Amino acid sequence: MEEKYELMRIRKEIFLAAYHGNCSEAHLASAFSLVEILYTLYCKDILVYRPAEPQWISRDRLVLSKGHASLALYTILAETGYFNKEILKSFCYPDSVLGGEPNKLEIPGVEATTGSLGHGLCYGIGIALGLKMDQSPAKTYVIIGDGECEEGSVWEGVMSAYRYELDNLTVIMDCNHLQKMNSVSATMRIDEWRTKWEAFGWSVEVVDGHNTEELKKILQKPKKEKVPQIIIAKTVKGKGVSIMEDNVQWHYKLPNRKELKAFICELGVSEEELKPCKGHI
Amino acid sequence: MQRAYLNAVYELAQVDKNVVLMTADNGSDFDKWFKRDLPEQYFDMGISECHMVSAAAGMSTCGKIPFIQTAGAFLAYRAFEFIRNDVCLQKSNVKMIGTGSGLSICNLGPTHHTTEDIGVLRTLPGLTILSPCSPREVSECIGAAYQIDGPVYIRIGMNGEEEIYALESDFLLGKCREVYFGNEAVIFATGSIVSEALKAAELLKKQGIGLKVVNVHTLKPISVDMITEYIKNMPIIYTLEEHNINGGLGSIILECLCEGEYQRRVVRIGLKECFAKGYGTIGELRKSNRIDFQSVVEIVKNTIGKIRN
Repeated sequence: MEEKYELMRIRKEIFLAAYHGNCSEAHLASAFSLVEILYTLYCKDILVYRPAEPQWISRDRLVLSKGHASLALYTILAETGYFNKEILKSFCYPDSVLGGEPNKLEIPGVEATTGSLGHGLCYGIGIALGLKMDQSPAKTYVIIGDGECEEGSVWEGVMSAYRYELDNLTVIMDCNHLQKMNSVSATMRIDEWRTKWEAFGWSVEVVDGHNTEELKKILQKPKKEKVPQIIIAKTVKGKGVSIMEDNVQWHYKLPNRKELKAFICELGVSEEELKPCKGHI
Repeated sequence: MQRAYLNAVYELAQVDKNVVLMTADNGSDFDKWFKRDLPEQYFDMGISECHMVSAAAGMSTCGKIPFIQTAGAFLAYRAFEFIRNDVCLQKSNVKMIGTGSGLSICNLGPTHHTTEDIGVLRTLPGLTILSPCSPREVSECIGAAYQIDGPVYIRIGMNGEEEIYALESDFLLGKCREVYFGNEAVIFATGSIVSEALKAAELLKKQGIGLKVVNVHTLKPISVDMITEYIKNMPIIYTLEEHNINGGLGSIILECLCEGEYQRRVVRIGLKECFAKGYGTIGELRKSNRIDFQSVVEIVKNTIGKIRN
């Protein structure tokens, strides 16, 4: 039960960062679908990392290819001690390091500057190849979206990762079924991904992307040798706030005054927390 | 030039195990030697330029120094956004080699010609752009690129270029090289086509016209002061490139002039608002597109006369 409230609190932090941020829109729904995935990786002993030493050579690497879900990553990085939680309140202010998309050169813990879709997998493959050359035990994780797989470069990477036997690479697909304007199914007539990735030789797992125990179990499972792995995590876009869930209109949006009530009630936001913050960093 | 390039990378890779060679199903017999001798440092990424660029950027975060190569046209145009976001924006230590630059891949036509790469790539912050004109200069550019901790693009011609430099040469990154003396006008040229400028200068000399030839091997960064030194005593300036005159060397020299203190007439010789026409040998193709030495001679004679009068 405790974890359930912890996850709700993280969603609240994400919401508050955007709410107090210097922005009239935010990719809240994409960030919310990713919470359990990132929480499992960072807070349930999957990733090996040292927040005090972000460039530690043996760290596992996580590339958030769907960079627009940056708020979820920022919040988890702050939770785990990469930077002060106060910095979350600076989202999108002129001097902030935290923008709508993550910037590797400015934010400790961010492994790749992303934002344009279809880059992260290829970039992660390069990291995995480099780690293999050095016989490093470190693993590479790449989080992609299902809509993102409409980018051709994703499939260039899919072929290459199999060719180079990258068993140190795990892709997690945040499969929330929606893209900006419509469902993935209506946009590109794609209803399932397993057979497509299997056809390219990948080891494929399908999991409930909001069940941290299931996620953990699959992430801890011994990997098949010489093949890359993808975990298709079935998620709900906007998970955690009913009016936002599975609703394409919430792709890039913040709540209006009326909609705010749902966020306050369902995330347990206090009056105090909604007060304007002073002295943004 | 390709051989010189590969030899240079091969030598670096033998000494520094972090140097890797990546191709996108592209190369020659020389690549096979590299692959045979240094298999751990060789990656054929398949026909996927975007992926190759991005993977190289990722690999560079592990301390590797990827030299990635494919036809310049595919690298600069198809993979442009990957070069921008993954290499330049993230200041990745990746060396990008565009082979067959200019019109080198003659008979395959404009899809294979690299005649806008300088124009598109020089807009990218932090990217060094090199354009060597001879095999020895290729080696020197590779050595210089290796020393730079950051992104570099090198465009290399594939026309059996002859050597014009001595073994002990004075190559310095960012510094143009005068390759033919003349005191009446100056022509700036870059890459393989420096040879046409040289031939033109020799012919013009016989006809009593002194054309100085300056090889601009570093297109970016470029120093306004350095260009100013070359032009301040010249009444008219020419530029010659196997590239569109818009965005390439011609534009670079115009920009330097506008930012400097001397106003001069500039005649830009290159492709003018068109893709290259015709097929054939490199000589024939240059002739068809009026960027060969005879065209240069004609253009200089037609324009310098007016200045003299």
